[in-house]
Amino acid sequence: MSFFGAQNTATASTNTAATDKDVEMSDPPTDSISSIAFSSQADYLAVGSWDNSVRIYEVMAGGQSQGKAMYQHQGPVLSVCWNKEGNKIFSGGADNAGRMFDVTTGQSSQVAAHDAPVKVVRWIDAPGAGILATGSWDKTIKYWDLRASQPVATVTLPERCYTFDVQYPLMVVGTAERHIQIFNLTNPNTAYKTIISPLKWQTRVVSCFTAATNSGYVEDKDSANNFSFKCHRRDNVPNSKDQALVYAVNDISFHPVHGTFSTCGSDGTIHFWDKDARTRLKTFEPAPGPITTTAFNRNGSIFAYAVSYDWSKGHSGMTPGHPNKLMLHACKEEEVRKRPRK
Amino acid sequence: MAKKKNKQIIRPWCWYCEREFEDEKVLMQHQKAKHFKCNMCPRRLNTAGGLAVHIQQVHKLEPENLPRIENALPGRDGYEVEIFGMVGIPAPDIADYKRRKEIELGLSAGSISQPPQKRPKIENRALTEEELKAQLEAHKALMGVSTGSDNPAAAESSTGAVYGAPPQSYSAPPAPIPGVPPMGMMPPPGMPPPGFFPGGPPPPGAFPGQPPPFPPFMPGFPPGPPPPGFPLPPGFPPGGPPPFPPAPGGPPGATRLPFPPPPQFVPAAGASPLPPFPPTPAQPQLAATPPPSAQQPSLAPGAPSSQTQTPEVQAPPTQLVLPNTALAQTNPPFKKSTVLKYDDPNFSPEEHRAIHPRYFCPKQGGAAEESRGRKRKKAEDFL
Repeated sequence: MSFFGAQNTATASTNTAATDKDVEMSDPPTDSISSIAFSSQADYLAVGSWDNSVRIYEVMAGGQSQGKAMYQHQGPVLSVCWNKEGNKIFSGGADNAGRMFDVTTGQSSQVAAHDAPVKVVRWIDAPGAGILATGSWDKTIKYWDLRASQPVATVTLPERCYTFDVQYPLMVVGTAERHIQIFNLTNPNTAYKTIISPLKWQTRVVSCFTAATNSGYVEDKDSANNFSFKCHRRDNVPNSKDQALVYAVNDISFHPVHGTFSTCGSDGTIHFWDKDARTRLKTFEPAPGPITTTAFNRNGSIFAYAVSYDWSKGHSGMTPGHPNKLMLHACKEEEVRKRPRK
Repeated sequence: MAKKKNKQIIRPWCWYCEREFEDEKVLMQHQKAKHFKCNMCPRRLNTAGGLAVHIQQVHKLEPENLPRIENALPGRDGYEVEIFGMVGIPAPDIADYKRRKEIELGLSAGSISQPPQKRPKIENRALTEEELKAQLEAHKALMGVSTGSDNPAAAESSTGAVYGAPPQSYSAPPAPIPGVPPMGMMPPPGMPPPGFFPGGPPPPGAFPGQPPPFPPFMPGFPPGPPPPGFPLPPGFPPGGPPPFPPAPGGPPGATRLPFPPPPQFVPAAGASPLPPFPPTPAQPQLAATPPPSAQQPSLAPGAPSSQTQTPEVQAPPTQLVLPNTALAQTNPPFKKSTVLKYDDPNFSPEEHRAIHPRYFCPKQGGAAEESRGRKRKKAEDFL
């Protein structure tokens, strides 16, 4: 663990040029950014990177940011999340470990172990005591009580865990081979329902609607159980309108207040959507590289996204000058507010 | 586009009647006269849609009673397709026409109709590890280096030097060129990120806008304009203790949420419970040295030197293996021409990335600090 970027003097990027321009954060990780997460208590952003580190930044009003802390995994970090109180950060990495960083003491320790890289970590805000869930390519999800070194429970999945999301008591897991498993966390050991993804292609990300009262509302890659939509496509031949290039959707983030959501893709674009009105609320200018991960802060006023390489073109796509940056977007009301249904 | 390149072979043709023309101007005149002419007045329109609107508005015909387009081939007399000269012809019809044209001209298949817009896509596609390796082998053979060479570093550096190519072209980064860190190379796993490396005491206040004076500290920085916000933090303790966290059991009041005041993050002098990073001296060379595990895939299979060199480091798998090959997925066929930008149905990009030598993380049972130290020693031995 180390410190970094103690002070960020107003250099070119952060002098808040025009407030409608997205702000680039200073001191980004040195390798691609795999996962970002905002604290639920303050504007602190945890950033996991392929350079084995997790960095914590404070985002201030006006878009300036400041590095606060950093800790290391032994392998690339694939996922980060916060606990409900915002005093602990969890991360999972390719070193098969889940680590916890206590922001009050500045210490990190290993809290979870798998037999394969840990792809996703999520904090389950269960009544009573919070539980850490980790999903791994070893085809399991493990639940961890942080006081014990052994998992409270282990769930065997049909395939490698690629993604999961929790909206207590709903948990939805997306795995390789397009399995989707839905869990009711009051009975976390067995799947409530197992389906094959309604989408044709590999499941990249699933995300639960924030107001999910019904476990049937499940969203993944670019659809939901009750609707799906195409996005992150581009015309093969300009203006032919054939929408033939299909890009992967890398992340879905829900707005904590309005329930609208964002998708981001390998094509470098981000869209805000309103699922009820079935409309697109905003399209960002295409970024110079894929968007790997996105996050809203706790009140939805800041939208952070990472422009970095997502390996979608394999090893040879990793060019030396590939952009690798963290961007902050100040959300305007009209971009994220739901539209009245037509 | 396609037609311009092949103008000498494929002349503009009319989609409605498949007649050929000298150039698109004549074609458009033809379409106006033959296909987009209103049969109720002398008016000629530019497109089928224009004709439809004209008939509906001027002659008050219901859309369903529109006359079919005149002089058109069967099946092409509708208003659905918006044709303007050569613009708007459905792709399958273009392909079909070209094929027939080839047969007619006695040309071999594909000689006209290779759609040029598709061509670069095939060439730009990501090379697989095998192809990269094969190319590397071919290149080595070309350079007179035997593939079984027991001096991989020499081979590596020669290829790197000859090509001057970024290391990403190869499955392993080239050996170091002292003082000149390869472009864009990141430190090997386990190395601290260069921007945050404690290093020596950088002169405070000299940072903003002039990153280059510190090449040894940032071997991983990509070329090009320095990233904004790049300067080492002025708050960095000059010459002070390495920025380690305060010892556990921090100040009282630490339980308050969410974040303690910044002072907690200020390194407590000398209080370094466990140094996460080794000291600096050999850093530039180290950063440029491929980690031991990274060399393996580039070696000829069975080269004993590599195995003996790193017995404890697990070699990264060169290929992802499905746990159950019977369950291998295939992408379903497309209804229309579609390109999936990421087309491996069985593995996510992250899985491919995680087995790459640069990122591969061997399984290790505890004692992580120790293994890092060992790796370091190996790297020094290697030098």
